Formats: sequence, structure tokens, C-alpha cells
Amino acid sequence: MTTEAKDIRWGMVIDLDRCTGCGACVTACQAENNIALTDQQGFAQGRNLQWLRIERYWEGEFPHVRARFLPMLCQHCDDAPCEPVCPVYASYHTAEGLNGQVYNRCVGTRYCANNCPYAVRVFNFTDPSWPEPLEQQLSPDITVRSRGVMEKCSFCIQRIRRGKEEAKLENRGLRDGEVQPACAQTCPPGAISFGNLDDPNSRVARMARSPRRFRLFEDLGTEPSVIYLKGGGHEHPG
Amino acid sequence: MKKLVLPLLLLCASGLTLGALALLYNLPLDTRDRSPAQPIPFSHKLHAGDYQIDCRFCHRHAESGPVAGIPDVALCRSCHEHIATEKATIVQLKGYWERAEPIPWLRLHQLPDHVYFTHVMHLRAQIDCRYCHGEVRTMVQMRRVASLKMGWCLNCHRDNQASIDCWTCHI
Repeated sequence: MTTEAKDIRWGMVIDLDRCTGCGACVTACQAENNIALTDQQGFAQGRNLQWLRIERYWEGEFPHVRARFLPMLCQHCDDAPCEPVCPVYASYHTAEGLNGQVYNRCVGTRYCANNCPYAVRVFNFTDPSWPEPLEQQLSPDITVRSRGVMEKCSFCIQRIRRGKEEAKLENRGLRDGEVQPACAQTCPPGAISFGNLDDPNSRVARMARSPRRFRLFEDLGTEPSVIYLKGGGHEHPG
Repeated sequence: MKKLVLPLLLLCASGLTLGALALLYNLPLDTRDRSPAQPIPFSHKLHAGDYQIDCRFCHRHAESGPVAGIPDVALCRSCHEHIATEKATIVQLKGYWERAEPIPWLRLHQLPDHVYFTHVMHLRAQIDCRYCHGEVRTMVQMRRVASLKMGWCLNCHRDNQASIDCWTCHI
């Protein structure tokens, strides 16, 4: 399946019935994007740096209880509440539907995080540090954000850039599934798919047409680019 | 007299602010020496100018990746095992080879944090090396010509209809 669609609107589809809550995506995200580690005290203060987290819900009454998991990341809203509140335009919308964050422009007012209904923007309250030997695994593609900067999921923009460059050097369009964020690549049950929503034949576009689809807080009108799928499988008769 | 104090103070404050802003705007991005003395007095004029060696013969990764790369000692030695072997600088070069040490070249072009630049895409767009690095073929001691400021990048991107989206370069 190749996508030669001229316009790109990046989107992600997460099948919650496939998600086992293992947390591999969280680890992959942390490693890929040079996200600093948070200690116990940081977590207790609610200052954990995670671009992607697993939300856990309990369903049913004891003893028939089961856990449901929901990977929560930046929804890359088309009508993003974080963008208009930034006084220095560090948070902006790209032509490809991504919700950008320019770290060297950010002055750390934290308006954007306060206006985000999904609470997926994280703020560097301290200078980032890694215990030895973890600092050896930092990716050279990404600069480490310093104290006082707001950061968030970028759909692995460095991978998008590289994929586009490779396609351009071979004088062709991007293929469907060629660009994968670290979370989608890592997910063992393959719950996360990433691709171009503007190409009707792409995997994400086909999955996004599923009757099982829903988006988070749809009533807020933020028009997220992350689409979740739930229900209708064999474990949900009727 | 008392009436004049506040306006004068305001005038002074705004003047100072404007002066500081103008100074900040005009200060160079990189205040280090533009043409420092290298550990070995390598002459680009001799190699690239007089002997017409292509830039990419030594800076090999420019065609395939983000960083153009500095040649390793083995590449220097591959020629200088036979050429000008008696010169003092070549003896110095061989010393690095025998001690299995890299040459501590001083880097001239250092981009600030959060800037993503790739050589290969600029070569693909047929931007000549000289456009950013200047007339290297005439430089006995290499020096930095470009300011490497964002406005300088943007001017060229605008002229060539290249992307000026923030995330193209700032990731």
C-alpha cells in the first residue's frame, strides 16, 4: 500500500481492545525523545515528565473486575486549546496538522498546559539528569530540553523528518507505514497505528472509519488527531 | 523641577532598553574566534585550491547525512604516506597516526541547541558549499564566514521557496 497523497494530515489510531497496558510505548517514548527521568519525589509532586502515559480504569464490580488501559498522549488537536494562549507563539499548528512546540521559543509561562484538557504537556521544573549509564543512550537527533521549558509529544517529528528526507532523496512520496513514532513501533500487540489521514487508502484512514471509533472529550470541539477504537470485538457480545 | 524627574527617568529607561535590544540583535551568535589556529596548520588553499581536491573527497558524509564530517587520520595518511612525507607538518600528522590519537581539530561551525540541519538535503537542493562556507579554496587558515543566525537561514529559505515551518529546523 503506497500513499502518494499530496497533502499530509498526520493521525494516530489506537485500538484499546488490543492494548494490554504493558507500558512498552511509555518506555520507548522516554528513550526516543530524550525525556528526563523523574524520581519518586517528582512523581509525588505531580511533576513527572511523560509525553505518553497509560491511564488505568477499573470496569465492573468485584469479583468481576477487569482493568482497561488507555494510552494518553498529545492529541494533536486541529483546534488546539494550547495554541492561542501561548504569548510567544511557541505552541503553533503546522501545515500537516501537528501541534508544534518550539522549545527555544518557550519561556515557560505554562498557560498551554493549564489550557490542555488532556493534561499531556509536561514542564521541566528541574534541569534534566540521567543516572549513569543512561546518559549514554541519549538520541543525538534531539536536543535535551532545559529547565523552564514546556515539552510534549511531537509524533516523533525527528522520524517524520527523516522519513520525508529519505523519500525525497529517492524522488518518491512517503509510503504508508514508512514513518512510525517510537510508541507505534514498540507496541507488542500492534495497538498503535500512525499515518496520513488525508489519504483515504492509508491504514489509519481505513481504521478511522470504523464504527468502533471515538475521540477523547469530543464534546469540547478540539478535533483531536488521535482516534481510539473500542468495543465490538468478541469480548463485547452485542 | 520635580515635574521633570519622572519623564527623564522614563526616557533614560526606555533608551537603555532600546540600546540593550539593539546590542543583543547585532551581537554575533558565536563569539568564539572566527579563525583559530588548528593543531596542524592544514591549508585548504593548497588542497582544495591548488590541487583541486573535491570538498566531498574528505568531508565524505555530506552526501549521505546531516553532518559533513571531518576526515579521520587514516584518510590523511592514505595520501601522505607517499606525498610530502618529509615536511614537518606531515611528520606531525604521522605522530598522531602512530600514537593512534585523533587530531584535536577545532570546530568552527557550531549550530545552537534545538537546531536541526542536514547537509545532504542542502546538497540535493544544489546549494554550493561556497554559499555557506565562503571561498574555502583561497583560505590558508580556515575561517568562519557565515553568521549562522536564524535570519540568515530564513533569507535563503525564502528565496528558494524552501520550508519556513518552525519544525523543519527546530526539533
